[in-house]
Amino acid sequence: MPQFQQPASWRLEGGGQVIDLETAVKDGILGGGGLPTGKDGTLGAAAEKFDPKKMIEELDSAAEDVPSVFICPISLEPMVDPVTLCTGQTYERANILKWLSLGHLTCPTTMQELWDDAVTPNRTLHQLISAWFSQRYLLVKKRSEDVQGRAAELVQGLKKIKGQARVEALKELQKMVVAHPSLKNALADSGGVALLSSLLGPFTSHAVGSEAIAILVNLSLDSDTKASLMQPARISLVVDMLNEGTIDTKINCTRYIEMLMAEKSFRCEFMLSLSLLVALLRLAKDKRHPNGIAAALNLLEAICSREQVRSSLVSVGAVTQLVELLPNLSPEGSAPALHILADLSTIPEGLSALKDCPQTIPNTVRLLMRASEAGVWYALSVLWAVCKLAPDECASLAVEAGLPANLLLVIQSGCNPELKQRAAELLKLCSLNYTATLFISKCKLTRTIQ
Amino acid sequence: MISMLYFVVESMGSFCSRQQPLNEVDSDENIQAAEIDRRIAQETKTEQHIHKLLLLGAGESGKSTIFKQIRLLFQTGFDEAELRSYTSVIHANVYQTIKILYDGAKELAENEPNSLKYVVRTDNKEIGEKLSEIGSRMDSPCLTKEIAKEIATLWNDTAIQETYSHGNILQVPDCAQYFMENLERFSEVNYIPTKEDVLHARVRTTGVVEIQFSPVGESRKSGEVYRLYDVGGQRNERRKWIHLFEGVTSVIFCAAISEYDQMLFEDDTKNRMMETKELFEWVLKQSCFEKSSFMLFLNKFDIFEKKVHRVPLNVCEWFKDYQPMGSGKQEVEHAYEFVKKKFEELYFQNSKPDCVDRAFKIYRTTALDQKLIKKTFKLVDETLRRRNLIEAGLL
Repeated sequence: MPQFQQPASWRLEGGGQVIDLETAVKDGILGGGGLPTGKDGTLGAAAEKFDPKKMIEELDSAAEDVPSVFICPISLEPMVDPVTLCTGQTYERANILKWLSLGHLTCPTTMQELWDDAVTPNRTLHQLISAWFSQRYLLVKKRSEDVQGRAAELVQGLKKIKGQARVEALKELQKMVVAHPSLKNALADSGGVALLSSLLGPFTSHAVGSEAIAILVNLSLDSDTKASLMQPARISLVVDMLNEGTIDTKINCTRYIEMLMAEKSFRCEFMLSLSLLVALLRLAKDKRHPNGIAAALNLLEAICSREQVRSSLVSVGAVTQLVELLPNLSPEGSAPALHILADLSTIPEGLSALKDCPQTIPNTVRLLMRASEAGVWYALSVLWAVCKLAPDECASLAVEAGLPANLLLVIQSGCNPELKQRAAELLKLCSLNYTATLFISKCKLTRTIQ
Repeated sequence: MISMLYFVVESMGSFCSRQQPLNEVDSDENIQAAEIDRRIAQETKTEQHIHKLLLLGAGESGKSTIFKQIRLLFQTGFDEAELRSYTSVIHANVYQTIKILYDGAKELAENEPNSLKYVVRTDNKEIGEKLSEIGSRMDSPCLTKEIAKEIATLWNDTAIQETYSHGNILQVPDCAQYFMENLERFSEVNYIPTKEDVLHARVRTTGVVEIQFSPVGESRKSGEVYRLYDVGGQRNERRKWIHLFEGVTSVIFCAAISEYDQMLFEDDTKNRMMETKELFEWVLKQSCFEKSSFMLFLNKFDIFEKKVHRVPLNVCEWFKDYQPMGSGKQEVEHAYEFVKKKFEELYFQNSKPDCVDRAFKIYRTTALDQKLIKKTFKLVDETLRRRNLIEAGLL
């Protein structure tokens, strides 16, 4: 807990006293550097205008440069209504009152016993806090207005310039949007979003398109905009960039499509082309970029939830590719992949592809021990479907791969009952073709588990 | 190069002077051999930086038009001598066109149920017979004003117009209307074909033609060098020469999407779109293109746009599961996306798993539109340059 410390800056040169509040803040006496004052050099009027609580909320009060004396030792948040105890320590009123109401009769920081439980409002500190935050608020507002001005300038410029200059302007705008969240709304209002959409078309170069998407993916777009972005030519452009771009571009495109998919008007049969599916599978297999793998798998998982697309996915060889990918995935990362395979197992082509792929059973069995609970559920679904389809063939393969032992461990673990039941059913299915003794020996079980 | 050679000669000279004069003849040959080797090495290195593009596609898919467009865009275009050389071609095209229409009208009048609308007016019949005879000659005469007038008269005959609008089972060339509308100009005494005329001119490509060019980008030092090859589109003997193009950077496959209701020139029982489909499948399976990028140009979009409203896509067996959605521009887009999806499916069905890294892009083109082709090529160029960087591991 931070102790009350007298900051070094209290000591003035020449040992003078601080009389003028505004000067104290302006000269940076309280630390955090000098802050510019309002137009007339005072901040008195400004301090009155703004509600301190609101200001503190709006500003990023987690910023490191809030002076430590403003922070309540209990909540570690800036104080809106500072009160002082008899020990001279200051706390946020609500917090210290709660402390006292719980029956404590000590000062939280000094641990001294309180001889007087009165709390005195610390008006000086309150005024200092108000003044400091007003200053900061004005500064941030000023900066953000500048940023908005610059952004508006860029948007206007984009309408006229072409070629490399256009790419550079888009890059600058993208950096600004990421650094200043306030721009997100401003862009929509100033026609920036409309402009960015209009830049995407059948003849958009990769350079321009990738920058435009990098900006759009950070904004929250309204339904009309999203509907206009779903034109086939624009989607084709995004798929091309997903195929050819840098890893950042690819991830942006993935997030972009996920964003569009959330709209009701998204028509899967038209939007989710084979090229897109192939591009996502390629991204999911790129071992150099784990975050790309995760992004691709997440989008594929979302896509697979739409039934119409499942047969297309199977037709581009998704099953084999995903099964072969399984050993390389992290425990958390394997859940989406297993979910996709589970979904694909619900259609005949998918199921037969799973059965035909020699790695399906071994890879899934191994994952039972590593995956998260959700992953295990999907893995069991896949194994169940495959073994049900061809019990003789698959059950023996599963047993060879060590499935029963893993199933028993799942059953005995602290997972939810549905999962245990599924595991038990699968175990029974596997054991059907074996006599009891043979099965037990195959499972390499110890006496106790028997 | 020359200074290096000089140095070699110098040093060889000084070396040889220590030995017997007998070796001087040998050393000359050595110098020459070294020079040739060096030359070969340098040229091979240059060759490797030339991106080879191969135009493929069925007959009349627009390959040669694209070829001409690239010449116009990135080379010095056609000079007057070359333009003049097209005059006889265009005149021949005019005669061929009107012959096909007249003969076609006669055929339809005999075979079609409501045959009356294909019967040419009596006073035009004589003109028709004469023109049909001219059109069948190997060398057609020059197009004079009188003949042009007669052709115009026949063209305006309602029967001929009817034939034209139902011309899908005949072999009416797509630019028929363009030729008929410009008869007066073509028949001028001092007629020199314009660039547009040349683009429309129809000459069947035999053998292989190639051009080398460097697309000039924004930064003038773009430096990529392309060599474009155009081969004949007709069926004969494709199998034999295709392997000469092993390892080309990119195959540009032209498919005329407006042809879904037309028959082949070589075999009028075969639907052109089905032929294109089979050809595309065949090309995809060739091992010589395993590493090549595939650029699919869905061409003749301008004709497709208009035809979609008149002739449903389902007349072509490949498109039999097409379901029209509405009308107007939306319907055109819907139809186009359907065709595009079919080609995409075909591509993935016929590409082996190890070809997965091959670039595959589809472009909507109208080969006669120069601006469009320029924009399209800019995109093709960007893709190929990015591919290069990706392969070099720089991206």
